[in-house]
Amino acid sequence: MRGIDELDHYELLEISRTATSVEIDRAYRMAQQTYADGSLALYSVFESLDARAIRDRLDEAYRVLADPELRAQYDEVMKIEAPVTIDLDSNRPIEEALRQDSEHADRGRDAADRSAASVSPDSFDDVVEEFDAIEDDGSGEFDGVRLRRNRLFRGYELDDISSVTKVNSTHLRNIEDENFGALPADVYVRGFVKAYAQTIGLDPKVVVPSYMARLEGSRGGTQPGGLFGRR
Amino acid sequence: MNSTTGMPRPPSDPIRATNRSARLLAVGGGKGGVGKTFVTVNLATSLARLGKRVVVVDVDLEGANLHTCLGVPTPQRSLADFVSEREEDLGKLLVDTPIENLRMIGGTHSNLADAQPSHLRRVRLLRGLRQLDADIVLLDLGAGSHASVLDYFLVSDDGILVLQPEPTSVENAYTFLRAAFYRRMRLAMVGHGVRQLVTMAMDQRNERGIRTPLDLLREIEATDTAEAHRFVETMRVFRPRIIVNGVRSAEDVKLGFAVSSVCKKYFGVEAEYLGYVNYDDEARQSVSMRRPIVELRQDADVSIYLQRIARKLLGLPSASMAVQNAGHSAATEAAPAAETRTRPPGGTR
Repeated sequence: MRGIDELDHYELLEISRTATSVEIDRAYRMAQQTYADGSLALYSVFESLDARAIRDRLDEAYRVLADPELRAQYDEVMKIEAPVTIDLDSNRPIEEALRQDSEHADRGRDAADRSAASVSPDSFDDVVEEFDAIEDDGSGEFDGVRLRRNRLFRGYELDDISSVTKVNSTHLRNIEDENFGALPADVYVRGFVKAYAQTIGLDPKVVVPSYMARLEGSRGGTQPGGLFGRR
Repeated sequence: MNSTTGMPRPPSDPIRATNRSARLLAVGGGKGGVGKTFVTVNLATSLARLGKRVVVVDVDLEGANLHTCLGVPTPQRSLADFVSEREEDLGKLLVDTPIENLRMIGGTHSNLADAQPSHLRRVRLLRGLRQLDADIVLLDLGAGSHASVLDYFLVSDDGILVLQPEPTSVENAYTFLRAAFYRRMRLAMVGHGVRQLVTMAMDQRNERGIRTPLDLLREIEATDTAEAHRFVETMRVFRPRIIVNGVRSAEDVKLGFAVSSVCKKYFGVEAEYLGYVNYDDEARQSVSMRRPIVELRQDADVSIYLQRIARKLLGLPSASMAVQNAGHSAATEAAPAAETRTRPPGGTR
């Protein structure tokens, strides 16, 4: 186990060394919330001074990793320092520790890379991905309930989507609730659903046709079907 | 605690050295009223429906009510009979439930003096639980962080912590974790001096100024490197798992990830976020209906989340596979996922 000061930038953000910029952004946003003043998850554990220190370190880690040039420099330095990792490292899975022990003679770049890849087996992205694989394969029929589940699952409030897509959150809510009567003309709904799906990371090409088919199917002739109701 | 599914248990462990022993799962949470029993009952039911032979045990002798949630009349015999040495065979305390593959051992008792088993009795109890004729034994722990509660948690293959998105529950969860952590560490230490150090660290206002597990490790390192190594090794296998119950917003969902991150940075412990269960009024009512919600309303969100956690506990589909095949196409991923998923019929509400 190492203190906050001893974690490298990747470990601090709980991401792998091959993390993409999107993953870095997400991890940083997540960590910012986790270690914010008044965060529920900190309650009774970290004192405000400790949390502040962690936040400062997170900011620094993000400043470096978000900048491709600084990140490359940092990675270079890490490569040189990597073999010095002490044995008392709780972040390392047992198998990795054993393997490294047996090959400590030639701890070259290779071994460092491999240990880096397994630093955070339970990182945010892995868990989300894992959940998603179980929860949703991303194909098949999409209804409002499934959209909402995916949204919550991926950690978005309606207002988050609204601020990204500029779509009024009332519309978004109506889409989830399949409150078809309250939605504007289909051509708009199509755009809303597309933006919604994109924002939370679903494939619009699958989601939009499926959802629109439901919408159209719901009419089934009983709908008044004014000009604005139809395409 | 061996949280890795399918790993052979070390033969050196006397408690686990039986030929065929059940997987032991403990559900705790520190605070009362966070939905431990609700989660336990529904996970047990979900696991039974996945074809496992499950026994759920009400270890909460002071507030036994598991039977009520399962619609079982107050059992005539209960764990109290074992605790008070009136019955030596746990198997004889098993009671059928309305759910196929699911049996239970109640915790009700007529004599308050029976409530706390002695240490020796507890060891026998734990051994007996593993020898029950079942695939999985789920323990519904009582509230609080007493040694008796902690030991069930520590000895189990999976210790699951249920918490709710509110400060009191989070605080209690950490109190519980902290107590479990230090107890586990003290048991792992060999030397008397180091054990005393751990005991001292448990008191937040100790004279050595040990505030965090890391501080403690530094102290131990300074005294004895072998003990320090044991400390770190024990930390590595101490893997509590987290369920957030009563979720109402995306913010609440994220709490699980946040707590997991804090556990890692504060305790140096990998606490896996197993999943969350949404707030559901009907789920609360299911308790008065005396039937698990996963039976009552299979297609409700709350049931889907609970069943998902159950599948995850069984490693369905394999978590490591999902990560390994990160670059796979959606089509190949769909096959195993679709197999295990119970889709709500038509997806309508």
